[in-house]
Amino acid sequence: MIRRFLGIWNLILLAALIILFLSVIYPMASIFLASFTSPETNQFSLENYQKIFHLPFYLRCLRNSLWVSTLAMILSLIIGIPFGFFVSRFHFPGKSVIKTLGTLPLILPTFIGAEAWILLLGRNGWFTQLLNAVGVRLPSIYGWKGIVLVFTLQFFPYVFLMVSAAMTTIDKSLEESARNLGANPFRVFRTVTLPVMMPAIVAGALIVFYLSIENFGVPVLIGEGFKVLAVQAYNEFISELGGNPSMAGALSMVLVMITLLVALTQKYWVERKSYAMSSLRPPDIIRLKPFPTFCIWLFCVSVVFLSLFPFFVVIVSSVTKSRGPVMYFGQFSLKNLASAFQIAPRPILNSFFLATTATLIGVVFGLGVSYLVVRRKGPVTYLLDMLIILPLIIAGTVLGIALAATYNKGMIVLTGTWMILVLAYFIRKVPYSIKTTSSVLQQIDVSVEEASINLGVPPVRSFLKVIVPVMLPGIAAGAIMMWVTTLAELSSTIVLYYGPWSTMTVQIFQYVGSGDFGLASAYGTILIVSVLIPLFFLQRFLGKELTSAL
Amino acid sequence: MEVRLQGITKRFGSLVAIDKTSLSIEGGEFFTLLGPSGCGKTTLLRVVAGFTRPDFGKIFFGNENINRLPPHKRETGMVFQNYALFPQMDVFDNVAYGLRARRVPHEELQSRVNEILDKVQLKELAHRFPSQLSGGQQQRVALARALVICPRVLLMDEPLSNLDAKLRISMRQEIRKIQKELGITTLYVTHDQEEAMSISDRIAILNLGKVQQVGTPSEIYFHPKNRFVAEFTGTSNLLEVAVLGYDPDQQLVHTDFKGNSMLIRYPQRPLQNHLLLLLRPEWIKIARDRQDNPVNLFSGIVLSSTFVGSMVKYQIKAFGDQLLILEVQDPQDYEMKREGESLFFRFDADRPVVIASREDL
Repeated sequence: MIRRFLGIWNLILLAALIILFLSVIYPMASIFLASFTSPETNQFSLENYQKIFHLPFYLRCLRNSLWVSTLAMILSLIIGIPFGFFVSRFHFPGKSVIKTLGTLPLILPTFIGAEAWILLLGRNGWFTQLLNAVGVRLPSIYGWKGIVLVFTLQFFPYVFLMVSAAMTTIDKSLEESARNLGANPFRVFRTVTLPVMMPAIVAGALIVFYLSIENFGVPVLIGEGFKVLAVQAYNEFISELGGNPSMAGALSMVLVMITLLVALTQKYWVERKSYAMSSLRPPDIIRLKPFPTFCIWLFCVSVVFLSLFPFFVVIVSSVTKSRGPVMYFGQFSLKNLASAFQIAPRPILNSFFLATTATLIGVVFGLGVSYLVVRRKGPVTYLLDMLIILPLIIAGTVLGIALAATYNKGMIVLTGTWMILVLAYFIRKVPYSIKTTSSVLQQIDVSVEEASINLGVPPVRSFLKVIVPVMLPGIAAGAIMMWVTTLAELSSTIVLYYGPWSTMTVQIFQYVGSGDFGLASAYGTILIVSVLIPLFFLQRFLGKELTSAL
Repeated sequence: MEVRLQGITKRFGSLVAIDKTSLSIEGGEFFTLLGPSGCGKTTLLRVVAGFTRPDFGKIFFGNENINRLPPHKRETGMVFQNYALFPQMDVFDNVAYGLRARRVPHEELQSRVNEILDKVQLKELAHRFPSQLSGGQQQRVALARALVICPRVLLMDEPLSNLDAKLRISMRQEIRKIQKELGITTLYVTHDQEEAMSISDRIAILNLGKVQQVGTPSEIYFHPKNRFVAEFTGTSNLLEVAVLGYDPDQQLVHTDFKGNSMLIRYPQRPLQNHLLLLLRPEWIKIARDRQDNPVNLFSGIVLSSTFVGSMVKYQIKAFGDQLLILEVQDPQDYEMKREGESLFFRFDADRPVVIASREDL
């Protein structure tokens, strides 16, 4: 019986490893090999990499990617650090609402942000026209400026969340003892507070950098001629379609190397530098004089307003009369929403179906993997724990290319089916599920399970009867995060979808590309609402902040 | 239910947690595994519960070998150190859990749960959740949950270690009372020697995965078999003395300790030239002066004295550089000494326990 019990978990372990092998390792290995073959002769060659590092065009892509990501990272720090510091250390009116709204940009799809800024500041943008009328010409939103603007406004919450979390774990006594030893407040901040927060700041910066460099939707929509790696890999893949994805593979590998470097820095520098502190008394929240309070309040409100205003614009646009790229703001119309719902509801249903399927698989898989990683420590589960990070460091476009290229021939043919979309979504988003479930599982002592077994309930049934119910809120939080982020997934979808399996995100992408902003906004609005409703439930009924699943 | 362990060995990597341990626990007995942390006592308990599989050795409940029986079929009731109550269930459901797993009919389940809750005085709290209970109450729920299934053996893993000192004493009396009423074979793990002595019928002292001694609390206290048991079961003064001669008429051993002559009563002529003597602090008396009794009378200097009302405890230096601990119950005037003062002490010839174990010398 004990043998059989061990057998069940070993079987699950084996299944998890096979799934990871088929969905990540094997596809990545095959485009890795493809990147070392010549597109003409199909022989081993380094010519793809020679091209990347010698042709000015490819070099520019690489430089562009690094440029926008670095800039977005720096700007996110400039906004995120004070924002995090203010909300965790000072009193000001409406703080909790500001804090909650401040995290929303994380969840809202970035390419909708890009669409909104085009609506506002693009060639036919509302602001642009308004200012043109009085003779003011704004600098173009297209190109790197627009990309950096959208990245900064959507990714700064990572920095702010990291900083404010670190701020509240510093024990009050730390700063007090520095004061007691004779340091003035500024010196305390510089020599105690800041160094203790440094790992959190670096971690936030790395996340922003990673998300920026792997992003596909924003540069493709607002970048126009400004090409970055993720977009160029996609372009190469489309032009190589059917052939060996050698150039797309090589570009993907360059992108993987960069993201891998980011992940390794995170793992070996940030985690080593982090100070484990059990904060018994978090620092006091300071009440400032009215004017400084007002300044802090104004800063935070402006940041939140700027980052959420684009989504408001999209919602307004969806009920505004439009003809192609021209929006008639102020003229109400339900035409766009009606055509999205009635004439072409298929993408909406597709998105829901694919996200739900991927989430269900992800929840089961996440539960199994979490149990193995937390409860059955050993060399093989350690390997599993390492492998499960892989999907996190592979850009969506890259994973899409790898899957499409691997499964379009051979024993398993998935390319051109909906299953490949589910596979990509599942593997890309399952870390959410694993993270939330395993962190709850870690808090439940093994003895609770043993108590149940001791009272006569067999092991697997004990797990389902006493552990899973306790984990439910965590599982639900992970599932909701998986579902909403899958719904908003563009980068892998754009590579993998085919005709009838177009999703909302693809529709938005295409309508923005063709300049049909009315319909793009209609789908955008439906997407925004679909994302916000489950988050509201998460917060309201499970009492969980959306940040608990990040 | 009688429990027998035969030659149990368990290794974790290169660490030997249990080393060829054999024990036999009688039906209805309250048996305690006592030892320092890392001695293998919890591992041994988990071997009995089935959560840990021994590398070698056999486990018997009565005449049934249960090595191959999975933990959920062993019918043991375990009380965990952290209680391990199911947080999403109230007290009643926690206690009823094992009965439901056994498909006990509804009426019987109700009455059995209520009966046991009554016994642990929790009837009024049946619909509270674990998070709403105090430590002591959670402890009772854990006990009730383990007892209600009428287990063949009750297993308790340091059940009182998370309670405060006062509650610990009252709970151990209560556990003892319930155990005797139900007559249930109990295997109890603790590192607290006082707890073990006050609650157990018999105690097994474990160290480094090995059983050092098995016996009743008094056997272990008064006749420890080796240095480790002597030191672990209470404060000990251990003196290594040289044998000078033996008087068979009076059964007295003449010994020498650092130039001081000591007389020790011993039934036969010692085989070794050296003996290890154990003197518990309360076996040593303070003498009024040198003339009081010339046998086993010595002097020392008080290094520290701690007065706690009913007793005064001294740390003294005697025989040159030997430290001794003395405890004087109900101290008289002349027995009150301060640091730096000298005092005379003596002990009867039949007081010191000769520790037989050869390897401790």
